[in-house]
Amino acid sequence: MGRHEIEWDPFDPNDPGPCIKVIVSNSYDVIDGWNALGLDCPEPRHVTALIDTGASVSIISKTFANNCKLFQTGEGSELRTLAGPLGCVEHAGAISFPGTTLRPFDSLRIVAADFVRERSFSCLIGTDILRNWRITFDGRSKRVLIED
Amino acid sequence: MATSPLTDELKVFQKYRDEWVHSNPGKFVVIQDSVVAEGFFDTYSEALKAGIQKFGVGRGFLVKQVWKTEPVYFVS
Repeated sequence: MGRHEIEWDPFDPNDPGPCIKVIVSNSYDVIDGWNALGLDCPEPRHVTALIDTGASVSIISKTFANNCKLFQTGEGSELRTLAGPLGCVEHAGAISFPGTTLRPFDSLRIVAADFVRERSFSCLIGTDILRNWRITFDGRSKRVLIED
Repeated sequence: MATSPLTDELKVFQKYRDEWVHSNPGKFVVIQDSVVAEGFFDTYSEALKAGIQKFGVGRGFLVKQVWKTEPVYFVS
């Protein structure tokens, strides 16, 4: 069982929320296939992700998805946000959590959308991943505990 | 206007959607061009693997869950 604790200050209005470092890459099956074809595969990238209980799916920035050449498996889905609906693209990918013992996720549907003016994070960890974890938000001690 | 890479696949999905909604609601299908991979899959992950086996990874293919209406993702 993996366990990881992160800091989060709900009393600080500039704190974007509980964030965790993640590595996003193509699904391992896609990477194996590309290697077999002799195709270049971009290096996995480290990004900061917000743990977002309000997101029904994990989301990364479109720019990031394009730079990583994430394998596309969908088009035209609707992402409904407080700022209005957005069109989005779906990719197959893998997400892991460096420096932790949390289990990685492979062959995961990852939605790509524009992150407008957001500098603190470029990925949202949504309930597709969160449903596999036990998460304790402890506002008073300013910590979030994740167990899988 | 640029054509999205999976436009043809989405047309195929729309063509068979009603039929699939009755026979296999909630399952995943895999489509590339006008070719539908054999079978329906319980999870996205299974469908992806089947798609890679059938079509390879030279270019993308559509992995789509069979619902009567388009699912909407929420961020709040």
